[in-house]
Amino acid sequence: MRQRSSHLPKTFLGCLPLYIGVDISLGVTIFNKCSGAYGILALFTGHPLEFMQWVMYLWSIATLCVYAQGLFQKHRPKLLTFSQIFVTFSIDTILTCLFTLWFTHSWYSLEGSSKENSSTGTSDGIQEANQGASQAVEYGATLFITLVSLISKLYFNFLLASYVQELLLHPKYMVDQDDVEQDLKHQRPWKRWWIKSQKICYKFSKNLLA
Amino acid sequence: MATAIQRFFLSDKPPYSHIADLERSFNPKVTFKKVSNYKLKASDYIHFGFLGSVFLFVLYANPAPLFYKLLFYALLCVLFIIPVTSQFFFNALPIWAWLALYFTSSYIPATHRPKITVKVLPAVETVLYGDNLSELLAASTNIYLDILAWIPYGLFHFGAPFVVAIILFLFGPPTVLRGYAFAFGYMNLLGVIIQNLFPAAPPWYKILYGLKTAYYGMHGSPGGLKRIDKLLGIDLYTSGFENSSVIFGAFPSLHSGCSTMEALFFSYCFPKLKPLFIVYVCWLWWSTMYLTHHYFVDLVAGSVLSYVFFQYTRLYHLPSDTSLFSRWSYSTIEKYDMNKMNPLLSESNDIENVPLSNLETDFELNSMGERSTSPSIFDGATSTSRSSATSNTSLGEFQNEYVGASPRVTSKLRFD
Repeated sequence: MRQRSSHLPKTFLGCLPLYIGVDISLGVTIFNKCSGAYGILALFTGHPLEFMQWVMYLWSIATLCVYAQGLFQKHRPKLLTFSQIFVTFSIDTILTCLFTLWFTHSWYSLEGSSKENSSTGTSDGIQEANQGASQAVEYGATLFITLVSLISKLYFNFLLASYVQELLLHPKYMVDQDDVEQDLKHQRPWKRWWIKSQKICYKFSKNLLA
Repeated sequence: MATAIQRFFLSDKPPYSHIADLERSFNPKVTFKKVSNYKLKASDYIHFGFLGSVFLFVLYANPAPLFYKLLFYALLCVLFIIPVTSQFFFNALPIWAWLALYFTSSYIPATHRPKITVKVLPAVETVLYGDNLSELLAASTNIYLDILAWIPYGLFHFGAPFVVAIILFLFGPPTVLRGYAFAFGYMNLLGVIIQNLFPAAPPWYKILYGLKTAYYGMHGSPGGLKRIDKLLGIDLYTSGFENSSVIFGAFPSLHSGCSTMEALFFSYCFPKLKPLFIVYVCWLWWSTMYLTHHYFVDLVAGSVLSYVFFQYTRLYHLPSDTSLFSRWSYSTIEKYDMNKMNPLLSESNDIENVPLSNLETDFELNSMGERSTSPSIFDGATSTSRSSATSNTSLGEFQNEYVGASPRVTSKLRFD
């Protein structure tokens, strides 16, 4: 039996079973991925999307479909499905970091060009102006929320990796390649393509984790 | 009428089952006896300690005369002590704590409050979600969209918690309402605490004042609901939101949190209608942004808060079976067993759960000798189970080698 990597978390938050962590990770990520649908909905208000926004929103919708499978299989997981979720999640983590950098640049270049940072100017003046956060606090809080979001995503990624590793080493979830091949012949083209992608992800996960 | 209702709900009630029965006694001694028999757990100390500290804070911070505050607390205590009211009011303790804190929030002196942020939420929304989604969705308005947005945000949101509670009470298993009150109350309570500790301006502020600094004396705004007031010729939302208790409480969105909690509980009890509940949450999310009350990141935070509290409640408080018709159809209540439901744990006496790498797969047929015996119908009580009848491998050989996938191998076997 091959040794399992000791770097991956074996429990969720140190006390709960892994599958609970995976359940929560997928749920939280799905809420975030809904942004894709609302981003594209913005087109109906007459707002054109930039290329990077198109890429991000379409990717979000695609990943939402992949992750949703996991919630339906939480008590009876299939290795092929979770391999696909793990690989998609890993790519998503990298892309999220890149998107974050890109849109951080967009926001601050836009904010830098606007000059709206003065006080609302009230009769009570100085005391009320002190109730608003300083620039440093605004930057700090923005950075904090962004970093918490990215670090959580990274942790969820490790949880999924650990879960898929456990599934790979568990005989109950072993994938019968012949069954998969046989099954493919009776499926519609899009389903065949979907299962093929799962197989590719399975092979990748096996090489990486098992 | 009463007979028809009784027949409708009690027709499939199991005989001698009393788990769905309600307490009808008015005698406080019943409550005192229950309390004296109850053994407090560590989680109870945290639960009551936390809620108690919130009530103490409210007692200190609320500007109402001390006599009235003590009178209110005394009334609550009476409701908790009388058994017939206690079964509802005591289980809603987190909801009382939330409401008490919410209505006290506006009285906390500005000098003791954290500074108001106006840029954090639009910045985070752009950084994490690519654009100011809330601003874009509110860019184009018309009367039909106004009404479509008003229905979930201005109507359903205020009535839904009660409707959900009644339906869960009648058609969910016993104790599910208790779980709902726990999760709903804690989600809102933590939400209001975060809103007070991290005051942030909603999207209507950016529309009215840009990114200028804010102060606590400012009035709130009804955002898009002002158009509804105008349409209906009333002054409901304008005055309500202008004098809101938490004007800079954009993060997290409790509208989003409440709708998600309702959807999660309904999905748990009525899984076939899950798509309908998902559509409701999506509808409310859109309306919240359209009416300029929350940024997208607030909605996600509210829903995540709900999801986490729901999962905790599901694991530790909720009954696992929700498949029967009404609360009176259940004869037993079983809670969720985290270990039993763990897909990574497996039956310890199932040979299929031993990894192939541990099995001797390179043995020669000749070396099998006498151990290789075919199963026979004459096998007596000492015969192995059918699953292991064709195998010469015993799980006992792997007890030390394989504990990862099947930890129960090391524990006591079920049929020992």
